[in-house]
Amino acid sequence: MSEERLRKLLLAGGACLAFLFCFAPFGYMVLTGLSVDPDFLRPGADYRFTLDHVASALFSESIHFPAYLRNSLIVSAVSAAVAVLIAALAAYAFTRLALPGKGVILLFVLAVSLFPPVSLVSYLFKAMATLGWINTWPALILPYVAWTLPLSVWILVSYFSQLPRDLDRAALIDGCSRLQVLLRVTLPVAAPGVFSTLLLAFIFAFNEFLFALMLTTDHAARTIPVGIAMFEGLHGQIPWGEIMAAATVTTIPVVVLTLIFQRRIVQGLTRGAVKE
Amino acid sequence: MRNENNNLTSRTPLRQQWQALLFLLPLLLFVGALILVPVLGTFLDSLFRDVTFLPRRFIGPENYRALLADPAFWSSLRFTLLFVLVSVPLELGLGLLIALVLAEAFPGRGLLRAVVLIPWAIPAAVSGRLFELIYNYSYGAANWLLQRLHLSGAPVNWLGSDAGAFAAVVVADAWKSTPFAALLLLAGLSAIPEDLFRQARVDRAGLLRRFFGITLPLLRPVLVVTLLFRTIDALRVFDVVFVLTGGGPGGATTPLSLYGFRYYASGDFGYGAAVSVVLFLIALALAVAFVRLGGFGRELR
Repeated sequence: MSEERLRKLLLAGGACLAFLFCFAPFGYMVLTGLSVDPDFLRPGADYRFTLDHVASALFSESIHFPAYLRNSLIVSAVSAAVAVLIAALAAYAFTRLALPGKGVILLFVLAVSLFPPVSLVSYLFKAMATLGWINTWPALILPYVAWTLPLSVWILVSYFSQLPRDLDRAALIDGCSRLQVLLRVTLPVAAPGVFSTLLLAFIFAFNEFLFALMLTTDHAARTIPVGIAMFEGLHGQIPWGEIMAAATVTTIPVVVLTLIFQRRIVQGLTRGAVKE
Repeated sequence: MRNENNNLTSRTPLRQQWQALLFLLPLLLFVGALILVPVLGTFLDSLFRDVTFLPRRFIGPENYRALLADPAFWSSLRFTLLFVLVSVPLELGLGLLIALVLAEAFPGRGLLRAVVLIPWAIPAAVSGRLFELIYNYSYGAANWLLQRLHLSGAPVNWLGSDAGAFAAVVVADAWKSTPFAALLLLAGLSAIPEDLFRQARVDRAGLLRRFFGITLPLLRPVLVVTLLFRTIDALRVFDVVFVLTGGGPGGATTPLSLYGFRYYASGDFGYGAAVSVVLFLIALALAVAFVRLGGFGRELR
């Protein structure tokens, strides 16, 4: 019985520590964003609440956060949609169509994620500069699509391969083309998996930093991670209140998405890495 | 018109192959044009003097020679490897602890599972900024906590000293990356048949015996996969360091990706490319080593 008590004690302690470890820094970020002064932990200092920083992060065009958020949302949404569409086509071919050597192709596509991003970024920069696309959305969308494809293909292949082939066969006999089968049968049936993939691709694009840093030079073209990383304020002192308010407000879309769809995200993330 | 059904058996495979290729075409185009071509281009660039405003000139292994002679490269390499060596085991250990907790049934488990995802969802660049504030010398949360727990008499100069900055980067990265490790390990834990534990309990195997006798051996494949993912990711660490320490103080926390990036940023693409190639080769060597060690492939299936 004493072992059972020990187990409970360990569990309670572990749960509290895990909660503190994961939540405390985030809570501190939110609190600082809502505080008049960032130094409320200084001995003898008081905590005074304000919404000023949040308001300026949301509405003040002069510190650019509304533009960063707009760029981030558009770039991430478009990249995720395109990546999942391309990945769905490919995953359908990998799981349903006969092609000699397709296993090698799949392995190769997955191996591509071994390349460190820093080994692509200079060449991409030169290419985008030649095209005159620096500071445009496509300059980010195109690499993001490519960069999220291996993961998306991998997840969708594992979802598609679990669907019964009989569904395809029935639709083919009814005279559907392969593309129609994919769009009308496979995708709807695999909708939960497709949705997980879409979410993951969106979050990866939303959080990406190096490409966005290299491929944007102008304030108006920056995404959230770059904007927040480079934000120095106007008067020397780092404006922690504004930065943390902006960090809170602008990461809320991803945090809320993650919390609402945690089951889907966890499923997508762990698929393939773990045998079911 | 030809009769489509006439020769079904021999025609279908060929048609299917064309169709398969067509379906794979967008994937191959994107990966080819936006990943492979740039990587090959970087390999080529590393053999050139490729500096903005200067004529491009083939110089063979000159960039690599300069690289090997640069003490800053070696100190960056040392930091990168040390970072991997310290942060990956730390993240795996913490991740395993969290996974073990989340695998049990207790009130509030759903809440904890959700909260664990928060650090993962926040962009690394943003959490870098958050930790910059946490490590603030005079009012950051790190020194506040140390004083509160009476662990340190004087505030610690986290970002101003070599050891402090190293610890700061490791902790900030652990915050961001542990959830991913925890989730993978949790999925591995839930795949272990419950019967094994029940049987072990009947046999009166203690808590530790159950952990080392059942949990750990059966978790090994997932542990190896997590180790591989985290190692490759830690090798290319960039965001959090760029934002938190900027590679400082005095270059003490400059990972190879940042060392190479600096040359890009200053317009020396050839030299930066050579750094990237070295980084890639290290990642490749480690990945191959893991595949050999872990008897992989089997586990990826």
